Amino acid sequence: MAVPAIKITNLTKDFRLGLRGVKLRAVDNLSFEVADNHVFGLLGPNGSGKSTTMKVILGLLEPTIGQCEIFGLRSDSVEARRLVGYLPESPYFYRFLTGRELVDYYASICNVPRNERAKRVADVIELVGLTAAADRRVGTYSKGMLQRIGLAQAVVHDPRLVILDEPTAGVDPIGSEAISELIIELKRRGKTVLLCSHLLAQVEGVCDDLAILNQGHLVAAGSVGELLRRDGQSNLVVENFPAAAKVEIEAVLARHGAKLRHIDEARVALDRLFLEKIGAADTHSKETQ
Amino acid sequence: MISSLRQISQIARLTFLEAVRQRFFNFLVLLGLALIGSASFFRRFDFGPQELRFIADFGLGGIVFFGSILAIVATAQLFFGEIENRTALTMLAKPVRRWAFLAGKLLGIVLLMLVFVGLLTTLLGAFLWWREQQLIDFYHQLFLAHQMPTDFPDTQRVQIGGLIMNALLQWLKFDVLAAITLLVASFSNTNLYTVVVSFFIYLICQLQYIAHDNWDKIASPFLRGLSWFLGKLFPNFQLFAVGELLVFPAKIPVPHSAIAAAIGYGLLYIAVFTTLAVGSFRSREI
Repeated sequence: MAVPAIKITNLTKDFRLGLRGVKLRAVDNLSFEVADNHVFGLLGPNGSGKSTTMKVILGLLEPTIGQCEIFGLRSDSVEARRLVGYLPESPYFYRFLTGRELVDYYASICNVPRNERAKRVADVIELVGLTAAADRRVGTYSKGMLQRIGLAQAVVHDPRLVILDEPTAGVDPIGSEAISELIIELKRRGKTVLLCSHLLAQVEGVCDDLAILNQGHLVAAGSVGELLRRDGQSNLVVENFPAAAKVEIEAVLARHGAKLRHIDEARVALDRLFLEKIGAADTHSKETQ
Repeated sequence: MISSLRQISQIARLTFLEAVRQRFFNFLVLLGLALIGSASFFRRFDFGPQELRFIADFGLGGIVFFGSILAIVATAQLFFGEIENRTALTMLAKPVRRWAFLAGKLLGIVLLMLVFVGLLTTLLGAFLWWREQQLIDFYHQLFLAHQMPTDFPDTQRVQIGGLIMNALLQWLKFDVLAAITLLVASFSNTNLYTVVVSFFIYLICQLQYIAHDNWDKIASPFLRGLSWFLGKLFPNFQLFAVGELLVFPAKIPVPHSAIAAAIGYGLLYIAVFTTLAVGSFRSREI
């Protein structure tokens, strides 16, 4: 059986608060696995223990109880961190460096061989679509560009596991869509991605599996398909549906022991509509220029 | 190990580049340069051959004063800048050991202090040399005109080698101070707390010679033991305060062994405080 990318077993994390050391349990007996080459969504409201779990996976926090392994290695070991790339939420980088210098700096920190570094840096900058802005100072980047340069630094050492904490926070739908495409591309390249996001449509669109945390507990886990399926119910998408057909359909369904619950107008998701309209407007403006 | 050394040098390089861009550093450098430059106003007073000593005292005092502020404030700012901006999170999520991260930060600050001390000492040295030439000419003319019984005294001449040695000792002292600040920062939660506590420790280090001088007068063995312990815990910064003895010829010159001992003393304290900082930072939750 393949070694899971992440294996968390009975993880509990307590924080001591104040001088009296009052205990706050951020994560309580959490266990889950992330399979290799899957995109895994970690969801939960604020304060649910997502960030704590993520920091334990990154080796930045020690578990109070339990353990966490990355590809079979203890998550707090340097060897495990060689296999991980991390994009923090709302990343802040050294503003005086150019995008290329920043990625090169992190590449050297991750011991990417000197003779490979320039090519690797150029490749990941191209991957995130920042080639044109690579020699601009990071201080001049927009929020979406910061996220993308953050993603470039996360993958520059070719990690097997990429952890993305709110990669679309504060990014417009176009930037969000670009990041979703990057996540899919990372999966195509054989990477495992752990995605922590409040943008549920994005999680649904790109994740294979997900876990939902609440108040430090795991409340749901499994594949996206399984978790979102409504047992015993199906959707029919019909074009040019005549009102008169409804009675006949109900009769047919009744003959088979089934029942028509409701008929909705098919709707496009708002983010899809936005992208279509913005895309059309961009095309129009290019044509008229 | 080689990879850790490479990481340390990279972190140090970036820390240094970040530090020299800080307004605070530039402000202190300009203030220090202006202070040394303002020593030219001493020409308005008639200090005689002693003028160079006044200029040197003034300049060395400025380097110690601004250098101490810079060592504490820059160390605290650069450390908490990484924590508050969460660049430390990005860095420590990489295959970087925490000791390498701290060592890189400290090395960056050590480089910063080298530039600071180097700049100010160069200006002070140039200024002293320029003024010395003027005074030598002036007193030589008086001597030739028989208005002075002797030429410009050799005991008032500046020893550039001594000035450089003093700069080296001050740099080392600032590095000890930076290591102390890093230790405080490794367990404290705020920049302000770190700066305030580090300044208190600096004062203790600066004034602890008083305790040393009164060692034998303490009757209680407990208090004597306690003051002995505190005397060892905090470095004695007076060991580095030999500026005038080095810059001008002294009746009893500072022996080389004493300078070597002061350098060893400083390096030992840097190693101890950095090790303690690493121990404290290892368990810190980022």
